[in-house]
Amino acid sequence: MTRTGWTIAIGVLVGLLPGLALAQVPEGYPGSYKEIVAAAQKEGKLVVYSTTDSASAEPLLKDFKTLYPFLQVEYNDLNSTELYNRFISEAAAGAGSGDLLWSSAMDLQMKLVADGYSQAYESAELRHLPAWSVSDKKAYGTTLEPLVIVYNKRLLPADAVPQSHADLARLLKEKVQLFKGKAAMYDAEKSGVGFLLITQDFVNWPQFWDLAAAFGKSGAKYYTSAGAMMEKVASGEHLLAYNIFGSYAMLRMKKDPNIGLVSPKDYTLGMSRIAFIPKAARHPNSAKLFLDYMLSKRGQNLMANQSLLHAVRSDVEGQATAGALHKELGDKLKPIPVSAKLLEYLDPARRLEVLNKWKQAARSQ
Amino acid sequence: MRAHPVRLAGVAAVAVVVLAPLGLVLYQSLLNAPFFSPAARASLAAYRYVLADSDFHGAFLTSVIIAFGMVGIAMPLGGLLAFLVVRTDLPGRRWIEPLLLVPIFLSPVVLAFGYVVAVGPVGFFSLWVKALVGTVPWNLYSVGGLILIAGLSHVPHVYLYTASALKSLNPELEEAARTAGAGVWRVALTVSLPLVAPALVFSGVLVFFLGFELFGLPLVLGDPAGILVLTTYLYKLTNLLGTPSYHLMAVVAVAIIAVTLPLVYLQRHLLRYANRYITVGGKGLAARPLPLGGYRWPALILVLVWLAVTVVVPLSGVALRSVVATWGEGVHLTEVLTLHHFRELMEYPNLVRGIVNTLLIGTVGGGLAVAVYAGIALVSHRWQGRGAVLLDYLVMTPRALPGLIAGLAFLWIFLFYKPLAPLRSTLFSLWLAYTVVWVAYGLRLISSALYQVGPELEEAARVAGAGQARVYRDVTLPLVRFGLLGSWLLIFMIFCREYSTGVYLLGPNTEVIGSLIVSLWGTGALDLIAALSVINVLLIGAGLAVALRLGVRLHA
Repeated sequence: MTRTGWTIAIGVLVGLLPGLALAQVPEGYPGSYKEIVAAAQKEGKLVVYSTTDSASAEPLLKDFKTLYPFLQVEYNDLNSTELYNRFISEAAAGAGSGDLLWSSAMDLQMKLVADGYSQAYESAELRHLPAWSVSDKKAYGTTLEPLVIVYNKRLLPADAVPQSHADLARLLKEKVQLFKGKAAMYDAEKSGVGFLLITQDFVNWPQFWDLAAAFGKSGAKYYTSAGAMMEKVASGEHLLAYNIFGSYAMLRMKKDPNIGLVSPKDYTLGMSRIAFIPKAARHPNSAKLFLDYMLSKRGQNLMANQSLLHAVRSDVEGQATAGALHKELGDKLKPIPVSAKLLEYLDPARRLEVLNKWKQAARSQ
Repeated sequence: MRAHPVRLAGVAAVAVVVLAPLGLVLYQSLLNAPFFSPAARASLAAYRYVLADSDFHGAFLTSVIIAFGMVGIAMPLGGLLAFLVVRTDLPGRRWIEPLLLVPIFLSPVVLAFGYVVAVGPVGFFSLWVKALVGTVPWNLYSVGGLILIAGLSHVPHVYLYTASALKSLNPELEEAARTAGAGVWRVALTVSLPLVAPALVFSGVLVFFLGFELFGLPLVLGDPAGILVLTTYLYKLTNLLGTPSYHLMAVVAVAIIAVTLPLVYLQRHLLRYANRYITVGGKGLAARPLPLGGYRWPALILVLVWLAVTVVVPLSGVALRSVVATWGEGVHLTEVLTLHHFRELMEYPNLVRGIVNTLLIGTVGGGLAVAVYAGIALVSHRWQGRGAVLLDYLVMTPRALPGLIAGLAFLWIFLFYKPLAPLRSTLFSLWLAYTVVWVAYGLRLISSALYQVGPELEEAARVAGAGQARVYRDVTLPLVRFGLLGSWLLIFMIFCREYSTGVYLLGPNTEVIGSLIVSLWGTGALDLIAALSVINVLLIGAGLAVALRLGVRLHA
């Protein structure tokens, strides 16, 4: 070998050393895990497509980078439709795309999985996860976020704060003057997540259509964004908003004492941000590291206590955790299962049928 | 005279860049699945579905009403404002002009949100009025409210083109009318404004197009009342069947384009006798402002009322939201004041990069776009051929493409046209998309400056033996340099605000302020959006002030 050759070789080795020293296999993982770490190190990069906003993801990404400092993480913060459009277009073009897709649009994620875009991977954390949150090792639910009723503490009298779905329907019907034009929920036609939630509502509670009609009769307003709804509940333009992600509501409550939230006592839906690794991922091993990290106790702890995203694991302590929800709600907590069943209402005929029913209820006077 | 090959090449280049996204949308509309899907087959089913959908009919009608309403408000008011500011002795006209431009660079979602905070059902201004008279006498969430706000906030577009044309008007014509005894309004209505009809008509058509493309305003102000326009109908189509239905969305885009083509025809027809450079003049004559006389103060009041409704109300709403923890009914604003949102915003990841990118795309990107537009303008300068007609149609249509579709179309082009693929996640792709959709806007700014150069000057150079390229380089371009600088400033503002066209081209290193706003919108952090918008307005305002200070004029 020439002198330059030696110099380069030594340089490369020295350069790799700190990375090797830090990139250890996490405690409790099989010894073979070091192969994934080594392969990820070669990849050097991770591209995440996510619907979780950068600010909420920041603590997670920072901590992940301390574990695997050799990875350059590219975090793309998109809305769920954009994420879907971008991914299928890029996949069709054979262009570079996300190595890990992490989205709150559970049905769209499962659609991608059903269309064969996901690769199976047995997470090292699999045995710590609830059965409903994993689909065929191809899709992992990473959070358990309650769907809550958000209300204005300043303006809504205590006796008009609904404690359950049935309560909400009753109050909307009884307190006509109070709630006239003052209730808000997702527009199921314009909002994919809004639609998904009502399909879960009527599965869990057959009287849901009665509630939908009560909304309609009260002259409720329908929105495409939870942000707009919460802002208007805070200002008093609306008194309450229905089916809001508990994580967003808690973030908001931290800043604005006027916002209150109720997890309905008859049943509380729990949704989950689904993550999967696409088959065509260019950095699949890095994606595996990130997926395992998100599902690890360490990652879940950060999600629960810093990002308020509600940990899915039951062994994590804190306010925004599955454990806390179970304690509060017991078996009334109804997680939406991560499964192919979510595809049921992507069938156009069935979907339009539900939409028509909803439209009729929502527009009923 | 046969068209010069350079001219033909120029038109061909524009045609390729404009027709690529439009053609892709048209192609998609004729399929039954995404065009890249192996299952895609030719089909008219999408047309059958959309054209039979009663929601589409309703949305279409509402869009037409809103677009006409906007033109009805923006054209007369913009023309009047331009006449007052440019041609009369209106008090304070120098400082009014920069303020007029605020609605151009404010993101429509933020503008709408500002109105909600100020004059929504529980806005601070509404509550104040309610305390006085017992009720809020207006409804922000109505077609009327939407038309009013959209119309008023598009006044600057009409103003800009008309003011530019008025400035180059030969003052002798107005003087002659004055000498013959005409009052100032008579001069305006019978001399000045008819002479700038091309500018007025063009800006009217542009506003009509922008009315069809309106998204942020109807989303925020129309949603609560269930008002559907074409763009929000498109938005609905993305979710209606669960997965986005590109073919249905493409049909809506084709329908919008089908409406715009006759409008361009109408515009050409209306202006067929208007020899476009009739207003050539200047000739060293300093225009003396027409005395308004007794109308001076009423005119000023009219301008101030417009400014109050269009600029002060929404901006005060946004500014207020940025410094309060909460607001609305039963809140004492003095008790909830805070600077927390600004501090929190400072910690937001990628904030600085977003701001830097926005300013880059505005300044450098805007400058390059002006260069491109100037090239196209020169290629078609004083050209009456068929190619020029084609160019008129080509440049107008892209702006009619709603942002939701334009964004997808540009993503697909950068994905599926392989030579462009490496540029996809760079600011270049963003720049190209912006430059294409705003081509009509920028081209007109520049060509109107070009038409002010007296043909005799170019002739003189030609007689002295200069070739066409040399004439442009040594005579035409130096003479319009102020026009180019002014166009740059306006394109800068437009590019700083534009977002939806680039939504699919943005990556982790190319975020802009618009993408940060959308990301914050998703989590409901409207307090941070307000703070970010205040910073945005201050930045662009400062840029504007510096530019004007340095002698950049808004029109030639």
